[in-house]
Amino acid sequence: MMNKKRLFVGALALALSMTGLSSAQDRVVLRVWTGSSSPVENEFKEKQIAAFEAANPNIDVDLLISPDYGTQIRAAFASGDYPEVFTVGQFDFPQWQADGLLAIGTDKIEDAEGIYEGLRAAFTADGELYCAPKDFSTLALLYNIDAFEAAGLALPDETWTWEDMAAAAEALTKDGMVGFSAAADKFRWMAFFYANGAQLFDDEGKVAFDSPEAIEALEFYQSFVANGHGKLPSDLNSGWNGEAFGKGAAAMTIEGNWAIGYLRDTYPQLNWGVTEIPLAPNGGRGTLTFTECWAVSSRAQGALADAAWKLVNFLTGPNDDGAKAVAEAGFGVMPARAEFGDLWLSTVGEEYSAFVKGAEYAVAPIFPLGFADFDAAVNEATTLVMTLEESAEDALREAADVARDINGE
Amino acid sequence: MANSAALDLSSADKPKRSWPKFLQGETLVGWSFLTPSVIILFVFLILPLLMAFYFSFTNWSGTRPLDQPDAYQFVGFDNYQRWIIDGRRTDDFYRAVRNTLYYVLGVVPVQTVIALVLAVIVNQRWLRYKGFFRTAFYFPSITSSIVVSFIFLFLFSAGGPINTLLQVLNPSYQPIAWTGNNDGLIHLLLGGLGITRDTAGEWAQARILGLRAWDWIAGPSVALSTIMALAVWTTTGTLMVIYLSALQGIPSSVYEAAEVDGATGWAQFRYITLPLLKPTTFFVITLGLIGTFQVFDQIYVLQNDTTARTTTSVAYLVYTTAFRGTSPNLAEASAIAVVLFVIIFIATLLQRRFVGGDQAEY
Repeated sequence: MMNKKRLFVGALALALSMTGLSSAQDRVVLRVWTGSSSPVENEFKEKQIAAFEAANPNIDVDLLISPDYGTQIRAAFASGDYPEVFTVGQFDFPQWQADGLLAIGTDKIEDAEGIYEGLRAAFTADGELYCAPKDFSTLALLYNIDAFEAAGLALPDETWTWEDMAAAAEALTKDGMVGFSAAADKFRWMAFFYANGAQLFDDEGKVAFDSPEAIEALEFYQSFVANGHGKLPSDLNSGWNGEAFGKGAAAMTIEGNWAIGYLRDTYPQLNWGVTEIPLAPNGGRGTLTFTECWAVSSRAQGALADAAWKLVNFLTGPNDDGAKAVAEAGFGVMPARAEFGDLWLSTVGEEYSAFVKGAEYAVAPIFPLGFADFDAAVNEATTLVMTLEESAEDALREAADVARDINGE
Repeated sequence: MANSAALDLSSADKPKRSWPKFLQGETLVGWSFLTPSVIILFVFLILPLLMAFYFSFTNWSGTRPLDQPDAYQFVGFDNYQRWIIDGRRTDDFYRAVRNTLYYVLGVVPVQTVIALVLAVIVNQRWLRYKGFFRTAFYFPSITSSIVVSFIFLFLFSAGGPINTLLQVLNPSYQPIAWTGNNDGLIHLLLGGLGITRDTAGEWAQARILGLRAWDWIAGPSVALSTIMALAVWTTTGTLMVIYLSALQGIPSSVYEAAEVDGATGWAQFRYITLPLLKPTTFFVITLGLIGTFQVFDQIYVLQNDTTARTTTSVAYLVYTTAFRGTSPNLAEASAIAVVLFVIIFIATLLQRRFVGGDQAEY
């Protein structure tokens, strides 16, 4: 009898502690979910959380680093029982915001002005900033220094134009190497699209995806493949641009700062540099940015919500364990706050400054909600153009027509 | 039949009760044994199936919490309209249907014939080291399809062993990126005869179900053919084992009688083995049809951005619609899944007509 009772009390205590109810009234348990990336970054996140728990003894964090984050959190959303704090990628933001999953952060995110404007824009809807960008990446031009020197060419710098790039690609195409590795990916050529002053929509909200500027940008990107001075990574026996560039099959490519660690680890012998994406004929600059933020659940209320925002500010703020720690950790991604750009460079190397500079004019290439069909059409247009099956003009017009149809034009 | 006979016996022994039939005697025992698997089937198979059907008529994004009053609205046939009837995505859907059809038509006959031939060979009495051959042929089937896909990716890469071998055999051969090539086999054949999209005539430009006629007759692309070769290689072993067990179930007295009557080896195969294997062939083709119509994992590994158009299968399209891209949509993915279900159902009924599944009589 006694034993049974003890067992019952024990089970009850266990059940309560699992749901977090056994703790005192002021004790809060936050469920925090994020996706798994490299082991180094996962360890970094765990350390950040541990530092937060040490600084806030009344808040417990139940951290989940999921290897299949997208699927797992979608299932949690559908059930209505989802974590208080979680990461949101820029491409998921429009849908998740519209689904009412995210709490508004305009008055909660501390010192938001310190975060790059382009990144804040990616997570702003209806004039409200929803979540706090934690880090980001931009695209830049990677070049093989040895190949340039062997061809007797001056190294590319920030004064380079599209013409310079095309001329260099021609001169570099020899001895089993092509000038440029050009992935058939809209998130590469659209850097040229924005540089050339093109926009998805014009000032009146009409679809402008097939504007002359847009066509010119895609024609330029296609020209490398069309005249044989560039190839798709798959035609260079590679899975992606970084691999083609690393193994010396292409002398130049457009990639993001995630390539730094990869190239250092996989191709330590490679002698390479990086500069900003060349200037468009009109002198315009452009690059794309990819970012992720820490968001708070719209269902977290009262003390739970306060604790959640406290954590988000801790993880992304200018404090020692937030954006500054991201800069000091010095892995692939850059801190979302401009003030730590130099610190990040001093950790990874000054030679990568082009990635940080890009943050000033970078655009997060997000299509508005409801334009999924347009997104698919742009993917198809990109493939058709880069496999030389269609002209840039025709392909962009077909994609733009899909957008016009959605837009009711 | 045997089951109900037993039931009649048991009910004849006992006085009549008002219990419904399924709660009586052996039936009750049977059902209680079945309960765990029935529950599992219901929760993980029937329920999702019904839910997919239900959600295919809504606009549920898949992320909006279902406990919200505005989680989804009914939109009737909008999702079907958009993907299958006359909407903006019909070309994507019918392209996936085309790819899947070429895949099924290419893989099922080839794997069935090879499996039968291999089974007959390893069933011969004169064959030595039978155990080795049986294991070797079965081995690809028990290897993880993801691992095998990566091996194929390596084998068929531009600088990989297949290209190197072809180059050694034929020095004038230009290496191609097998897994990255979108050219359809029939298009290549027609191209060799001097027929291209522009010279084929008016009919090639006609749009049928979202695609040009010329695109319908493309044939499997080189990239898809690579995946088909992979599928044949991995599944043949399993089907061989099924044929092998059926072959060993044929009584040797039948063959002995045939030999006495003077039947040759071929005649025995044609008039004894094949007819007696008919139910097995039905089973093997059904398995093949269902498996190939649902092809997913090999495509997941072997596809890249450039080959998406010619390698996306309907099942893979369901996945990308539900989980990938700018705004994943579970309702639209459900609609495609329902249509895929209907296609497989019809295909199985059709092949039942042609192959037939009747039990053989000795």
